[in-house]
Amino acid sequence: MAGAVKLEKMGKPGVFIPCDTFAEAAKSASVDNAMPAMRHRTISAAEFYRVRGSVEEVTPLAERLIDGLIDALTRPLEPTETGRPRGKKEGEQTASITISGESYPSALEEFNQVFLNDLWGDGLPLVPPTPERVKWMLSGTSLPPSKVIGKVLPKQGIATVEKIAINAVMAGAKPEYLPVIIAAMEAFTDDNYDQRHVLLSAGSFGLIIVVSGPIAKEIGMESGVGFLGHGWRANNTIGRAVRLATINIGHTWPGLNDMGLTGRVNPHTFFTFAENAELSPWEPYHVTQGYKAGDSCVTVASIHGGKDRFGGSIMTWTAKSILNAIVANVLGVGRGALKNWGNKGVGEIHGSGGAGTRHLIVLFPAVAAELKKLGYHDQASLQDEICRLAAVRYEELGPADIESIQTAMGMGYEHVIPPDRRSVYKDALQPGGMVPVQSSPRDMPVFVAGGAPGDAFGFNYMKLSPYKPTAIMTKRITRATLTKAGGVDD
Amino acid sequence: MVELELLSPRGEIEPPPTYVPTARVPDLAGKRIGLYSNGKQGMDNFYAVIGELLKTRYPTSTITRLTGAFEIRDEDARVWVPEIDTFIYAVGD
Repeated sequence: MAGAVKLEKMGKPGVFIPCDTFAEAAKSASVDNAMPAMRHRTISAAEFYRVRGSVEEVTPLAERLIDGLIDALTRPLEPTETGRPRGKKEGEQTASITISGESYPSALEEFNQVFLNDLWGDGLPLVPPTPERVKWMLSGTSLPPSKVIGKVLPKQGIATVEKIAINAVMAGAKPEYLPVIIAAMEAFTDDNYDQRHVLLSAGSFGLIIVVSGPIAKEIGMESGVGFLGHGWRANNTIGRAVRLATINIGHTWPGLNDMGLTGRVNPHTFFTFAENAELSPWEPYHVTQGYKAGDSCVTVASIHGGKDRFGGSIMTWTAKSILNAIVANVLGVGRGALKNWGNKGVGEIHGSGGAGTRHLIVLFPAVAAELKKLGYHDQASLQDEICRLAAVRYEELGPADIESIQTAMGMGYEHVIPPDRRSVYKDALQPGGMVPVQSSPRDMPVFVAGGAPGDAFGFNYMKLSPYKPTAIMTKRITRATLTKAGGVDD
Repeated sequence: MVELELLSPRGEIEPPPTYVPTARVPDLAGKRIGLYSNGKQGMDNFYAVIGELLKTRYPTSTITRLTGAFEIRDEDARVWVPEIDTFIYAVGD
């Protein structure tokens, strides 16, 4: 819809075609893009996806639509389409709500039903965000409640500390978790973070939230066996608070503007875990990002739904076997993408979509320790090795691969092949060269989490997200009042 | 009777600006009609039929197709807009 509105604003009349199941999302998007009267004509989703494979099969569908398209392009605008209603400041009238019941249980039931009816919940029972409870939650930070942390798409809802705290209450979080939740929201709403794709895409993407640094242990986050599962109040409610905040502050809802076809893989609580600092042989992830060891930080990253499995668990493993599995995965995913490196991409960011993958690798402590014994003294050395090994012989490349890589190098796309990697490809693109399928080792962040036995696995996502420069962001946790860690002022 | 006073979790939204769509063309005869897609599967077939249907009804019209990003890039729009009188935009989603 944004593209269609862009063309309208440039003075060309047009029509947008969504599928009927996306009609509400199209209307919502036209409002979000400041042209509520943008004309659109729908086609049947049930038919389109089935018949689009051939001209013959899609013809009847197109024939039924053509009159509507011509009408949309030629019938003069109606008065209702040319008026300029002043938008309302949504939220002004609903600062607080009063729910009644004959008893507390019935009031609680009514509250949950009303919130769900209004699309303010996530389908699970909520904790009532009373003023007292929110005040209690705000005791976890010295940040003023009115401070704006960022804006959440698609409605650009303003995420104040108070609004985040309200959602944290609803999630069942405790005040000492609030600084972590705020830092996660700060990362997610950073101007450079692509919220739009992960929140709204049909691709059912999700988010992971990783905490590293001393605050994780102080607030009782689990980083051992079962660290991604249920039962850990800190892990689960931090993830749920962030999820509720994106739903409520951004005003998203399945089918309305969140078009995840199967829902989000972690729909109620984004995957949230802490690095196992006690057992990790390496420095915590946040130190690799330039923060101090004594800092506590949150990293948020967008992910596809599934996990890549590298080994461990109850099967026999060696550090080498797991390293080989990681390399095989990176190679398998990356080989086919080489021909896309020179593409313009699916979004404003050149190369976005098909030009490579970010692999988030999670290693259990024992395999990290064994890797260190093999000489990988830090995450960077491991990343470098994976990148070196996940390479294709120059002679195995096709003309399309070579042309695409050369295009990516020549176009100055800093994102696809970083400047400091250009020489690698200059040397590799000649007989006898080995061409890495991962353009940068640093696109494979490594986290250490889990217990004994453990699982080595990974999440992945496109290296370049369509709408903003990044889909991974780390922020420092600050202004915590109930923990020793995270209390550093900005 | 129990009353629960609850604070709203919803983010406040600043009043958005509102733009009006561009005035329509009176008809499509002789017009340059742009068909834009983001290249998702099936759009080629769909637009092949739409283009043919438009040409059958308006033989003097010109059909141009552009495949690009989900949201047309500024640089693509700057080149394409002067070449069309009206457009159809579909993303195959």
